[in-house]
Amino acid sequence: MSLDAPDTRARLEAFLRAASGADAVHIRALSRLSGGAVQENWALDVDMNGGTHPGPHQWVLRTDAAARVAASLKRSEEFQILQVAYAAGLRAPEALWLCRDVAVTGREFFVMQRLPGIASGHRITRDAALVPDRARLACELAENLARLHAIHPPQPKLPFLATMHARDNIAHYRQYLDRLAGAFPALEWGLRWCEVHAPADEETTFIHRDYRTGNYLVHEGRLAGVLDWEFAAFGNPLEDVGWICAKCWRFAGKTRPAGGIAEAAEFIEPYQRASGRSVTPGALVYWQVMAHVRWAVIALQQAQRHLSGVERSLELALTGRIVAELEYEIVRLTR
Amino acid sequence: MNDIPDAVELLAIARTTLLDKVLAQLPADLRYDAQMIANAMAIAAREQAAGDRAAQAALARLTALLAERDLALAGKELQAACAGLNRRLAATIRGGRFDDRDRAALLDHLAQTAADELAVSNPRALES
Repeated sequence: MSLDAPDTRARLEAFLRAASGADAVHIRALSRLSGGAVQENWALDVDMNGGTHPGPHQWVLRTDAAARVAASLKRSEEFQILQVAYAAGLRAPEALWLCRDVAVTGREFFVMQRLPGIASGHRITRDAALVPDRARLACELAENLARLHAIHPPQPKLPFLATMHARDNIAHYRQYLDRLAGAFPALEWGLRWCEVHAPADEETTFIHRDYRTGNYLVHEGRLAGVLDWEFAAFGNPLEDVGWICAKCWRFAGKTRPAGGIAEAAEFIEPYQRASGRSVTPGALVYWQVMAHVRWAVIALQQAQRHLSGVERSLELALTGRIVAELEYEIVRLTR
Repeated sequence: MNDIPDAVELLAIARTTLLDKVLAQLPADLRYDAQMIANAMAIAAREQAAGDRAAQAALARLTALLAERDLALAGKELQAACAGLNRRLAATIRGGRFDDRDRAALLDHLAQTAADELAVSNPRALES
């Protein structure tokens, strides 16, 4: 069902009225935002009379798309995560209300703050005018990530989060490769290398697991907020550091290792300062290799969604063809 | 069989027509789809043009790495032989057989294999 149908709008207004204690709620505009094959984001412009949030507001309504990815969290879980992250002072949209009642729109959804800015990885890494001071943005990303990694388990609001350390990841990816008909020797090599070089001791913190260019908003050159929390878990904080520094997330900024926007040191040094952790060159390479293996496994899963007929899509099919690029980088990093 | 123009030529002219004539007339929300279609056609054309050469070289490297006897194959038989040897290589890597001994030869093979695939799927990635 479309959220924009008149009776759905009326039910949404009633939900917002009850949730906020408003006297009256009027939805001025509700339109689907681009992107998001797995989740749908709708721009929600609303006038509220009274209650906890009086006045005009620009919010986002986030809900499941038709096709879900097995590894991603439910919307109700993402809502809890956003609340914990926001309370910890992270730059993230504030999550306002969760609706578990599928009678309202047909699916679970939540309403969150709409932050200003641009998320497109291609534009942020290509257009210097969007990021006049790249080192400053890298520093903000590093400090924000350090704050995220200061959240430790147990978290009473996040009982559903899995704990994934290096060896758990390796076992998980091997399990997936074993389900495929074809073999991927370069990915097997990356996994074996990660197994042999796995850290003896690992810290456990809250981790985002998709903290990279393309998943944060840049507004007036500054970090406005981090999006897409659906892969969050507990695990080794350095996994997030390797992920944002992986070659596959540099877009047009191939020569700038930190997210395609800055030199590695411009990200790593402020991260070390803010977190009190040391990121050795060896640890950085280790988690970069793991990042490429993980993205290759996800790319194979995306291609399988197409090939199996679950969701026929040219974009998913083409994603299968990026695996060679990731394999090439895995071999280069482990030589 | 009438194969003039052949598959590579058909894909090339179809892609040129899409990009030069159709793309500009499309509404903005379909441009990205058109570019993906053009990309898929380019990959398919390069794969067709490349033929068996890379797979034959890969087969020779695989038989050397796994101490198998040499095979001279083509087409579907070549693909099947490579697939079988790849499965064996993957299992052998997982078992640790290449951790030290023959590691350099393995990495040469994996790098060459990935480079040959990139020459088909995304040649620009090899430039950076």
